[in-house]
Amino acid sequence: LRGIAALACAMALVPGVGPALAADPAPTEYQLKAVFLFNFAQFVEWPADAFASADTPLSICVLGKDPFGSNLDEVVRGETAAGRRLVVERHASLSDVAACHILFVPASQSRDVDGLAVRSRDSRTLLVTDGPQQGAMIGFVKERNRIRLRVNLAAVNQAQLSISSKLLRIAEIVGPRPEKR
Amino acid sequence: MRAQTPIRRKLLMVVLLTSGAALLLAMLAFIGNEWFAYRSATQQRLNILGEVIATNSTAALAFDDPQGAAQTLDALRADPDVRGAALYDARGALFAVYPERKAGDVAGRVPDRAPEGALATSDEALQFSNGKLSGFLPVAENGRRMGTLYIEYDMRALRGRMLLFGLIALGVMCAAGLLAYVLARKLQRQITNPVIALTEVAKSVADRRDYSVRAPPHEGLELGKLTGAFNLMLTQIEEQLRRLHLLQQITRGIGERHDLPSIFQLVLRTLEDHMKVDFTLVCLLDAQSEALTVETVGGRSREAAASLGLTEGTRVPIDGNGLSRCIRGELVYESDVRALDFPFPSRLASGGLRSLVIAPLAVESRVFGVLICANRIENAFESVDCEFLQQLSAHVALASHQAQLHGTLQRAYEDLRQTQHTILQQERLRALGQMASGIAHDINNALSPVSLYTQFLLEKENSLSVRARECLVTIQQAIDDVASTVGRMREFYRPREAQLALAKVDLNRLVHQVLELTRARWRDVPQASGSMVELHTDLAQDLPQFMGADAEIRDALTNLIFNAVDAMPAGGRLTLRTAVRTAEKGGAARRVVVEVADTGVGMDEETRRRCLEPFFTTKGERGTGLGLAMVYGMVQRHSAELDVRSELGRGTTVELGFQAPESAIDPTVGVRALRVPAKRMRILLVDDDPLLTECLRVMLEEDGHQVEAADGGQHGIEAFRAAKSAGKPFGVVVTDLGMPYVDGRKVAAAVKEISADTPVILLTGWGQRMQEEEEKPEHVSIVLSKPPKMHELRAALADVSAPEPARERA
Repeated sequence: LRGIAALACAMALVPGVGPALAADPAPTEYQLKAVFLFNFAQFVEWPADAFASADTPLSICVLGKDPFGSNLDEVVRGETAAGRRLVVERHASLSDVAACHILFVPASQSRDVDGLAVRSRDSRTLLVTDGPQQGAMIGFVKERNRIRLRVNLAAVNQAQLSISSKLLRIAEIVGPRPEKR
Repeated sequence: MRAQTPIRRKLLMVVLLTSGAALLLAMLAFIGNEWFAYRSATQQRLNILGEVIATNSTAALAFDDPQGAAQTLDALRADPDVRGAALYDARGALFAVYPERKAGDVAGRVPDRAPEGALATSDEALQFSNGKLSGFLPVAENGRRMGTLYIEYDMRALRGRMLLFGLIALGVMCAAGLLAYVLARKLQRQITNPVIALTEVAKSVADRRDYSVRAPPHEGLELGKLTGAFNLMLTQIEEQLRRLHLLQQITRGIGERHDLPSIFQLVLRTLEDHMKVDFTLVCLLDAQSEALTVETVGGRSREAAASLGLTEGTRVPIDGNGLSRCIRGELVYESDVRALDFPFPSRLASGGLRSLVIAPLAVESRVFGVLICANRIENAFESVDCEFLQQLSAHVALASHQAQLHGTLQRAYEDLRQTQHTILQQERLRALGQMASGIAHDINNALSPVSLYTQFLLEKENSLSVRARECLVTIQQAIDDVASTVGRMREFYRPREAQLALAKVDLNRLVHQVLELTRARWRDVPQASGSMVELHTDLAQDLPQFMGADAEIRDALTNLIFNAVDAMPAGGRLTLRTAVRTAEKGGAARRVVVEVADTGVGMDEETRRRCLEPFFTTKGERGTGLGLAMVYGMVQRHSAELDVRSELGRGTTVELGFQAPESAIDPTVGVRALRVPAKRMRILLVDDDPLLTECLRVMLEEDGHQVEAADGGQHGIEAFRAAKSAGKPFGVVVTDLGMPYVDGRKVAAAVKEISADTPVILLTGWGQRMQEEEEKPEHVSIVLSKPPKMHELRAALADVSAPEPARERA
C-alpha cells in the first residue's frame, strides 16, 4: 500500500500532472530519470561494507547542477530500499563528493566522470551518468523518445555491486565481459 | 425383459447391464476426477506461470521498457492455450500486451485498463469463467507494487481432453462389453445348460409321457440338487406308473377268472415276477375265524413253503400279533420278523425271511383271508409297496368274492336247468297222456255196445252154435284186450294210477315168471341167429313184500328184458338182480330194488337222456318207442325210482327201486267185499248215446229190473222229477258222465236234491282214472268205466241196493 501511495504521490508531483490521474500525460524526461534513480536502489545490491552501520541511509547524490529540481526529492521522500531510508544529497563539486551509494552525474559534469570512475569503484558507489559515458556504470541513453539503460557490467563488478538480472535483461550491456566472481 | 426371453439371453443381459453400469460409473468418476484434477493443475500451473512472468516483468515496469515487457510476455507463446496476457503499470494503464496487437485489431482480448479492484488486491488468483481461466496478478519487486498482470487461458483444451477421455472411455466400454459378452456367453452355460437340459427333459416328459428319460447329472450345488430332485421325482413317478400298470394288469387278469385258486395263483405269480418278494402266500380264514388255512402258495415260494411247513391245506393258528391284527382288517408290516416273539413270524424267520407284509382280503369289511408277502432282506418293503399291496388285496378280495358269487350263480342255474328239463319231460308226457286219454275215451264209448251185446248173446242166447259161441268169445277177448291196451296207453304217464287194486308183490317170484315168459326171446331167438345170451340171476333172499300191481311190474320187466336182449345182437350177459338197499339221502328208508343189466352196445348221453320219452326209439320200424315210457309210467304210479346207467360199448343197467313198507302189510287190504245179489229195482238210464241206452236197457230188463231211458241229462232230470211226483220214484240212477249241456255231475246233483237217498252210478270213459284217484264226484255212489262189464254193473247195483253198512264197505 505504501508503494502505491508513493507512486500516486510521485505522479501527483510531476509538473502539469493534476491530481486526476485520468488525464495521465506522459511524464517528463527528468521525472522518469528521478524514478529510475530511485528504482536503482531496488535492483542493485550493495556489499555490507558500503554502509557504516545497519541504519545508515542509502544516499542518492547529484553532482553539480541539479537537473531534477524537486522531482527526485518527491520520489524518494519517505521511501526505503532494503530496509534503509533514502536520502538525496547534492554536491557542487567533485571534491565534495563522499560516501554516496548512487551518484548521478549530469551531462554538464561529464568531464568529471573519468576521475569519478576510479573513486566510485573503491567507494562502492553506483555511478550513473546522463548520456553514455566511458567509465560510467549505468548510463541513461535516449533512444527514439525512450530512455534506455546502458550498463558497464565490468565496472559494476569492480565496485563489488550486483545488479539484478531483471534489470540487466532490459539494459544494454557494454564493456568487457565480466569475469566470474 | 420380457417373459418369453430365453434364460440365456436374460442371463447375458443381466451380466452386460451390470458390468456396463459399473464400468460407466467408473468412467464417469475417472472423467470427473480428470476434469477437476486438470482444472486444478491448470490453475496452479498458470498461477506459477503468472508469478514468473510478473517477477520477470518488474524491471521492465520499473525502467519503462514495454518492449522488454512484451518480450517477457512473449514467453507465453510456449503454451498455445494461453489466449492472451497484458501488463498494466502501477496506475492501471496498459503497458504491454500478448499477443502483440497488429494494425487491424480493433479490440484485443485483454481489458484496456486494469480494473480498480485488481489494483487494490495483492494476492489475486486466477478464476474460471465462461470456459476460460483468467485473472489479474500483482507485479511487485521487493514488496513494491510495480503493476498488474492479466492472463487468460483457454479451457477448450480441457474440453478437447475430456472429449478424448470420453472417446477412450467409450472404447474401453465397448471393449469391456465385448469381453464381458464373450465371457458371460461362455460362462453362463454352466448355469443355463443344466436348466435348459431340465426344461428339455420336462418338456419331453410332458409331451411324450415318457417317464424313463433323465436329466444329465450336474455337479453344481443348487443345480445339482435340483437335477437330482427332478430325476428322483421322475423315478418315483415311473415307479408309481409301473405299479399302477401292474395293478391294472392283475385286476384285468383276475377279472377274467372265476375260480379262487386260479385268481390267487395269478396274483402270486405276478407279484413274484414284478415285486421284490421271496415268499408269497394266500391263506383263507375258516368259518369260525379260529385259524387260517393255506390256500395257495406262490410258484417260486413252493420250496420255502415246504421247508416252513406251510404247504397248501396247512392250518395256521392266528398269532397274538401280526395275523390277528390283519384279521381285524389292518395291513401289517414288519421290517424284521426276528424281533417278534410270536409263532408265525418266528416260523418265517427260521426260513431266512426278514421283512413281512400281511394284507387282509376283506369284502364288506369282513376279512376272509390274508395275502402274505415276505423278503429275505430287512426293510425290503417301502410305504409305496405296502400301499400297493393294500390296493391289490382290495382288488383280489373283490374278485374272489365275485368268483364265489359266480360259482353260486352257476350252481343255481344248473339246478334250475335240470329242474326245467324234468318239468319239460313231465309236461310232454302229460300232454301225450291227455291226448291218449281222449282217444281212449272215444274208443271205450264206441266199444261199449259191442261189448254189451257180445256179453248179452253169450249169456242169453242158448241157441247159438258152437262155432258162433267161439267166435263171440274171441270177440269178447279181443274187446277186453283192446280196452286193456287202450287203458294202459292212456294211463302210462299218470302217477299212482294203477288199473288194478294194489296187492302184495313178491319181486323174486315176478322175476321168475317174467324169465319164463320171455325165455323164447332171450334164449331161443339168439341161439337161432348163432349168438348166445348168458343169463345170470342174483336174487336176494328174504326180500320184503311191498304194495304194487303185479301185472304192471311184470310188463315193465318184460320190456326191460326185451331191450337188454335187443342191445346184445352178438350175444352177451344178461343179469337180473334183486336187493334191499338203504337209501343214502331222503326218500324212503329202505328200497326193494330190481336191476336188469346187459353187456350190450350201451347208450350215448343224448340217447340216455331221451330214452324215457314216448315214441323215442333206436330200433327203427321194429320199435314203438313206448317200451321204456310204459316202464316210466309204472314207476311213477308206484312212486318208485328209475335209474338208467349206461356206457357206450359197455352196456346198460336199468334199476327199479320200490319203497319197502315200514311194517308188515295188512292182509285184508284190497280184498273185495262179499257180493250180495241185487234185488229188482226201478232204474233210470241217462245217456246221450241211444245205442248204449238201448243195449243197457235190454240187458237190465233181462235181469228183471224195470228200466226207463232218458236221452241226455236234461231229459234224465225231468224224468226223475216226474217219476218222483207221480209216486213211482226210481231206486237207482245210472248216468253217463260226459254229455252235452247237462253232464253226469249235474244229473247226480239234481237227483240228490230231489231225493237224497237215491244212489247214482256213474258210467264213464274216464272212469278208471276217477276210481284210482278217488276223484269220485259229489253225490255219486259208484263210478264204473266204459265199456261196461255186466258183472261189474250187477255188482254195483247189488251194492247200492244193499243196506248201509254194506255200501260203506265198498
